[in-house]
Amino acid sequence: MDAIGHGIIEAFKLIFSGDREIFEIVGLSLYVSCFSVVFSTCLGIPLGILLGTHQFKGKGIIVRLIYTFMSLPPVIAGLTVFLILMRRGPLGSLQLNYTVTAMIIAQICLVTPIIIGLTYNMVKEKAPVVNRLGITLGAEPLARMKLLIYEMRVGITTAVVTGFGRAISEVGAVMIVGGNIKGQTRVMTTYISELKGMGNYDRAIAVGIILLVLSFLVNAILYNFQERESR
Amino acid sequence: MELSFEHLTRAYEGKTVLDLEHGSIKSGSRTGIIGPNGAGKSTLLNLIAGLDQATSGKIYYNGEARIPGEAITLVFQTPYLISATVEKNIAYPLKLRGWAEEKIEERVGFLCEELNLTGMRKKKAWKLSGGETQKVALARALSFHPRLLLLDEPTANIDPATTAEIEKMLIKINEEEKTTVVLITHNLAQARRTCDRCLFLKGGKLIEEGNAQQILAAPKNELTRKFIAGELLI
Repeated sequence: MDAIGHGIIEAFKLIFSGDREIFEIVGLSLYVSCFSVVFSTCLGIPLGILLGTHQFKGKGIIVRLIYTFMSLPPVIAGLTVFLILMRRGPLGSLQLNYTVTAMIIAQICLVTPIIIGLTYNMVKEKAPVVNRLGITLGAEPLARMKLLIYEMRVGITTAVVTGFGRAISEVGAVMIVGGNIKGQTRVMTTYISELKGMGNYDRAIAVGIILLVLSFLVNAILYNFQERESR
Repeated sequence: MELSFEHLTRAYEGKTVLDLEHGSIKSGSRTGIIGPNGAGKSTLLNLIAGLDQATSGKIYYNGEARIPGEAITLVFQTPYLISATVEKNIAYPLKLRGWAEEKIEERVGFLCEELNLTGMRKKKAWKLSGGETQKVALARALSFHPRLLLLDEPTANIDPATTAEIEKMLIKINEEEKTTVVLITHNLAQARRTCDRCLFLKGGKLIEEGNAQQILAAPKNELTRKFIAGELLI
């Protein structure tokens, strides 16, 4: 218990000391997570809507696959991206392994199915009733689509924040494709993992606290939005 | 808006739920559609509103087969309100039609006044009671001056005072704006109070149509008589 308490005190000292390395790692973590979440959102929401509003052959299989990929183990996503990007892999010529781009690609693979799946479930529930309403009020298809997105705004925000939570907290995928290279691909989760291995608990707790605070802030924003919309 | 239909059928998985040889709804009328459960009343309303497709036959709107979606609206028994305020719900069809803000404000204000919604203009849709929700849905449907107003049991499960308000509004817009009103109801007293014409459907077929008071007081068809007397078994 003493070690943990001591670690927390040291962690706060470290945070407020303005340690350059820690803040660079935090910055890179946010950059990788935000970029992958924005990309996944732009891809996942239209695909989720398309899937929820259209009937076609093989839809059942696609939905099952998306549900499976929603809980895709990060190490598997990381390994797959690594194999595709490695020198002898299909995209080896791009030389992306151990770069931030590879980390973003791996996180997109993890986050996109979550956003598609959550959007699909909302659309499945909301689209029939919103569509009927739109038709009875004389709304054209584009206006009905806008209305559907408006009606799902809280749910979409939840899906995006869930995706962000997945991206910022995962370690397996970014470790495999990024390699935790100091000053280049080191993010909070891979750094915590390394610090723990080195027995540097103070620093590991400090980074862990920053990770928790960031997660808390994002969820607080979501909570405020939900509260404002339901008030 | 004058409505007529010929050889109109609707079947689901081979089972015909609506089969109307011919029939019409007169322009400017307040037509009640009555009949037991499963008679095809809601199916007919959905076909008229363009929410469903006929298996065969056509519906003519002022003589044309094209659905004038911009002039028709339907109020459901359990209406769906947009998750926004009362005034935003009422204004939505007007925004779709590109009305100017001042005109929208004027129209929303008028409808809120007419339906006693003024005090709850800023209230969120999910905080309304069933009766208030139905009044907002009616105000929203009337906002753009539809030529044909379809209502599917709008006052089922609503208190008598709100029911009276809604009925009064239906008669008013029909008389003042000549809006054709088509109302599905299980409440025969409501049909008597509100409608001037009546269609009686059973088993997907049109059994009797004509003057509401005459049909409800002295029906010509034995099935209609039994239904009104509460003796008709489905």
